[in-house]
Amino acid sequence: MNRIMLPLAVLLLIGGLSTLAFSQRPWAPRPDVEQPIPFSHRIHAGVNQIPCQYCHNLASRSSEPGIPPVSRCVGCHGNKIAGAPGSGIVPVTRAWMDHSQPPFEIRWNRVYTLPDFVRFTHRPHIFEGIPCQRCHGPVQTMDRVVPVEEINMGFCIDCHTERHASLDCVSCHH
Amino acid sequence: MSSGLSRRSFLKLAASASAAAAVPGCEPAARKLIPYVVADPNVTPGIPSFFATICNECPAGCGLLATVREGRATHLDGNPEDPISQGSICARGQAGLQGLYNPDRLPHPMSRNAGGTLTRVSWDDAMKTVNSKLGAASKAGKDRVAFLGGAQGPSLRDVMSAWAAANNSSRVLYYSPFSNQGMREAAETLFGRRDLPVFRIDQAEVLISFGANFLETWISPVEFGRQYSEFRAPKERRGSTTIGRAFYVGPRLSTTAAKCDEWIAVAPGAETEIGFAILSVMLKQRWVSQNSGVDLDALAKLVASYDAAAVGKRTGVPVDTINRMAEAFGKANGALAISGSDDPASHLAAFVLNSATGNFGKTVMFLQDAPQGATNKAEVVKSFVDDLRAGKIDVLVVAGTNPVYSMPPEYRAAEALQKVPFVIWAGGVPDETAAMANLLLPMHHPLESWRDRNPRAGIWGLGQPVMQPVFESRDLGDIVLSTIQNPKWATSAEAVKATWQDLGTKAGGSFDDFWVKARREGGLFQDQHVADVKLNLASVQAPAPYTAPEISLYSYPHIFLYDGRGADKPWLQELPEPISQIVWDDWAEIHPDTARKLEVTDNAIVELKTEFGIIQVPALVRPTVMPDVIAVPFGLGHTAMGRYAANVGANPFAVLGAGRMSASVTVRPTGDSRKLVTPLGKSEQLGRSIVEAMTIEQLAAGEVPEGHEPEVKGPYEFYPAWDYPKHKWGMTIDVNACIGCSSCVAACYAENNVPFVGKEGVDNGHIMSWIRIERFYPEAHEENPPLMYLAPILCQQCDHAPCEPVCPVFASYHTEEGLNGQIYNRCVGTRYCENNCPYKVRRFNWFLPEWPSPLNLQLNPDVAVRGAGVMEKCTFCIQRIQYGELDALQEKRAVRDGEIVPACAQACPAHAITFGDIKDPASAMMRRRDQNKLRNYQILSELNTQPAVVYLRDLHSAKGKA
Repeated sequence: MNRIMLPLAVLLLIGGLSTLAFSQRPWAPRPDVEQPIPFSHRIHAGVNQIPCQYCHNLASRSSEPGIPPVSRCVGCHGNKIAGAPGSGIVPVTRAWMDHSQPPFEIRWNRVYTLPDFVRFTHRPHIFEGIPCQRCHGPVQTMDRVVPVEEINMGFCIDCHTERHASLDCVSCHH
Repeated sequence: MSSGLSRRSFLKLAASASAAAAVPGCEPAARKLIPYVVADPNVTPGIPSFFATICNECPAGCGLLATVREGRATHLDGNPEDPISQGSICARGQAGLQGLYNPDRLPHPMSRNAGGTLTRVSWDDAMKTVNSKLGAASKAGKDRVAFLGGAQGPSLRDVMSAWAAANNSSRVLYYSPFSNQGMREAAETLFGRRDLPVFRIDQAEVLISFGANFLETWISPVEFGRQYSEFRAPKERRGSTTIGRAFYVGPRLSTTAAKCDEWIAVAPGAETEIGFAILSVMLKQRWVSQNSGVDLDALAKLVASYDAAAVGKRTGVPVDTINRMAEAFGKANGALAISGSDDPASHLAAFVLNSATGNFGKTVMFLQDAPQGATNKAEVVKSFVDDLRAGKIDVLVVAGTNPVYSMPPEYRAAEALQKVPFVIWAGGVPDETAAMANLLLPMHHPLESWRDRNPRAGIWGLGQPVMQPVFESRDLGDIVLSTIQNPKWATSAEAVKATWQDLGTKAGGSFDDFWVKARREGGLFQDQHVADVKLNLASVQAPAPYTAPEISLYSYPHIFLYDGRGADKPWLQELPEPISQIVWDDWAEIHPDTARKLEVTDNAIVELKTEFGIIQVPALVRPTVMPDVIAVPFGLGHTAMGRYAANVGANPFAVLGAGRMSASVTVRPTGDSRKLVTPLGKSEQLGRSIVEAMTIEQLAAGEVPEGHEPEVKGPYEFYPAWDYPKHKWGMTIDVNACIGCSSCVAACYAENNVPFVGKEGVDNGHIMSWIRIERFYPEAHEENPPLMYLAPILCQQCDHAPCEPVCPVFASYHTEEGLNGQIYNRCVGTRYCENNCPYKVRRFNWFLPEWPSPLNLQLNPDVAVRGAGVMEKCTFCIQRIQYGELDALQEKRAVRDGEIVPACAQACPAHAITFGDIKDPASAMMRRRDQNKLRNYQILSELNTQPAVVYLRDLHSAKGKA
C-alpha cells in the first residue's frame, strides 16, 4: 500500500509546492516592481528625511495611505521639476502641464496588495505609532520600493499578539 | 500499517499538499495606482463623502444624504436636517441607486428609422435633428411643440416653460398617475383651494383611514411612518396607559391596515358611505364640536340618507362598528380621518369629519403659501392627449413620465403618440413610451443633476448631483436649453441657482453663505404658517347611494413598485410585499369564499375583464381581501423597461377608468397557471413565539400575555459564560413601532452587498436577505390577536448560538463583542450552521452572485463580496462597528452611545430598531428595554439561545373596546 501512497503523496506535495512557487502572490516579497517613473524613496525619505506622511497624507485617517497627487511633487520641486526630453521625470511634468483629453495618467504599479477578504486600514496602525518600516521594510534605503516582508496572516497575527491588539477574526475579515 | 506511511500521515501530507495548491491567489500581481494631478477635496480614498440631495422616487420630496465613496454613490439615507425624511427613507428611496446604476439605462442617443429599428446616433447628430424638428414645428404655428413630464420642481418647470415659449408654444404638461386628484377636488369644493393639507397623525388619538395606505405609498409615507409610531406608542392619557386607536376602512388588508386595530372590510367605493354614516351618528349623538364653524344643519341634510342602519345594510358593515368608530372619533382629544380612495366624496367625508370635530389646525391643516399641485388636472391632461391624437402637435418631448403605461385606456395614449410626427423621449431605462418615440435621449438620473423641490409650504429641497454621470447622458434642462437661442440660463444648474438666488434674497444675508448652507443642509426649511380655512358646505351635494358591483377589481399602488417606476430595480422586485409576501410577480388576491365560488385556487391564472379591457393575473387565495373583491397591485405588467421589469405580470392601469382604482369586473379562470413565488415558509406561528403581541388593556393592567414564559427554567449552562471585555452589542426592536415597510431590508441590501437572486432563485429558496419582514396570520384560537403579525427578523446574535459549535472550520464563531461572526474566507460551505439556526437567518451562496455592470458600482467597498459556496449573515454591520470603534480609539475615548448605527436601524422611519451596548445600562437600547419591561420578549427563548436581540411586543386595542 505504501508503494502507491507515498509516491502519490509526494507527487501531490510537489504539485502543490510548484503551483505555489509559480503562482502570483501579490503580498509576497518580490525582487523588483517596475515603475513608470524612476522615483527614489531613498532620496526623498532617506537623504532628504521627508516624513512618510508628508506625501502619503491619508494614512493617519483613512484605510488608504494616499498616493500623492502630482501637485504634491510640484509643491516642492516647483519649476525645477522639468527634465530633458526622454528623462524619467517627463511623465510627472506631462501630467502637470499637458491638459489634453483624455488626461495623461501616471500609472504606478502597486507594490503592496492584500487579498479581497482582508480589511486592512492604516489608520489605527499609524495612531498606535507602528513605524511604517515594520511592514514596508526600510523604504528610506530603497531606490525602488519592493516588498520585503510577506504580509500574510501570520505576519499580522504575530504583531497583534505581541502588542495585545485585537485577535478577533471579524476585525479584519468582514 | 505497521511501518512506513500511515493512513494518518498520508492524509496529513495530502492535506498540506492540497492546501499549498489552494493558497495561490488568482489576482493580478500588479494593479495600477493612478494619482490625481490635483487632489479633489471632496474625495478622500477610503473615507466616504456625504452629499445632501433630494429623492425623486415619489412626490413626497424627502431629503437624502448620499454616501459617496471614491466618486460613486454607494448608499442613500434620509437627510437628518430635512423635516420630511428626518434621517430615514423608504425602500423605494434607497433603490434609487439601482435606477442610477441600472444596466438597462439608455447608454447613448438612439434614433428610430422608418423601419422602426433603433440605431445609435451621436449627441451632435441627435441635437441637430432636435433643432431642425423644433425649428420647423415652431414656425408651422402656435402650440405645435409640447412637453409632457412627471412631477417636477420649480426650477425645471421654469426651464420647460421658457423652452416652450421660445418654441412658440405654451404646452407644458405634468402628469403622474397618482396625484391625489380626489383630495384636491374635495378641498376645492369645501375650502376653495387645491393644495394638499399637512397631516399630523402624532397629534391624534384616533385615526380613521378610508383606504389610505399612509404607511406605504400615500402622500408622504416616511413622515407618516414616523408619526404613526409616535401615535401608537403607549402614553399616559387621562389616568391610564393608552395607544392611538386606528381603524382602516378598505377592501384590502394592506400593510397599513395590518398595523391598525380594526380592519373594516368594505368593497371599493363604499368607504364614502361609511364616512358619511359616521358623520350621521356623530351628529345624532352630538359628538361633533358645536363651535367648529361647520354648518350643522347643512351637514344634517347632507348625511340624511346615511344613517348607520341603512349604510350597514348597503355595505355589510355592522351598525355597532360604525357606532364604535363614531364614538371613538367624536370623543377623542384629537382625531384624524384621511382617505386614499379614488372617490372625491370619501375625501369630502374625511375633511368634514376633521372639521366638524374641531380637528382642523390640530391634526390636519392647510398651510399659507402652499405650492399648487406639481401635476396638471386630469381634464387638462385628457384634452392634451386628445390634441395629440388630433394631430395638433408636431414635436412632443416626453421625460420623467410613462403615459403609454400609466394613462387610463380611455385616453388612448399610445394611439395619440402615433399621431405625433416626432416624439422625443428622454429618460433612463427605455420604457413603453420610449418604444413609441422617434428619438431616444439618455437623461441624467436625478442623482446626477441639479434640481429642486417644493413639496409643501416652507420646505424647499435642493437636489445636487452626487457623482459624475454613469452613462453618456445629459441633463434634461441642459438638453432643452441648448435648443433655444439666448436662453435666460445656459444650464439647468444656473436655473436652479437663479431660483435659489430669489429664495436667498428673501431669506436675507449674503447669498454665498446661503448657497453653501443650502447645499450643505439639502435645502431651505422655514417656519410653516397654518392657513385659516373655512369649510363651506353650500356647494356640496350628497353622493349617489352606493351599489356594489357583483365582483369588483381593486388596484392599489404596490408598496415598492408604486406607479410602475420601481419595476426596473431588482431590490424592489425581490423585496416581498409585506402582506402577500410575493416577489417578482403580481397577483390577484381573492378571498377564499370568492375563490370557491369562482373555482380558482392559488396560482391559477384568472382573466379579469372590465369595460376597458382584459388582464390575466395568477390568483392568490387569501383572507386579506374583502369577499367579492379582487385586488391586483399597480406597478407591474411592463412590456418594456429593461430586463427586470419587462413581461412580469399585468398592468391594471390598462383596464381601469381615468383616475379610478376600482371597477366592476367579470372573472374567468383561464385554466392556465403560473407559480407565485414567496420566500415565506408558513403563515402561522403554530404556537411558537416569533412575533408576539399584547393588548393595550393588558399592558395597562400590568399583565404579561400567557403562554409565552420560557418553558425551561435555568440555570443549565454547560459551558462557562462568555467574557466580554469591552462591549456586548445588542438590539432592541419595538414590534409595535415597526410598520413593515421593509426599508431596513433595502438598507441591508445596499450596505452589505447582499445579492439578489431573481424569481427562480427565490423559488429555490436562495433568497439572500439578511433581514426580512416576517408576516404571520393570527390563528383561530387566539384571544384578541392583532390583525397581522409583522416584525423584522435578523440574526439574533445568540449567546448560546446553535450555529457556532457545528462549524467544522471555525468560520462561524463568537466574537469578543458578542456577535456571531462569520469569516467568509474560512467558510467551506457545509451549511451545518444554517441547518442548526432556529431563526433561519443565515444565507448560503449557491451561485456566484452577479451584479450586471454597472450595478456593481453600488457595492460597498467596506464589505467583502461573498463568492459561491460561502455562508453569509448579519453581523450588526460589523464594518460600521469597526469604524466607530476606530474613531473612539483615535480620539482616546469610549464609544459613545448612538455613535454606531447599523444600516437597518438608520433606515427605519419608525425608529423601531435601537442598537447599543448591553454592558452599558444607560444606553438608549437598554433603556428602551427597561422602560418597556412588560413588553420584552425574545424569539424562541425556550431554546435558551439567549439572543442579543430583545423585541418589544406589538400593541393593539382589544376588539370592541372604544
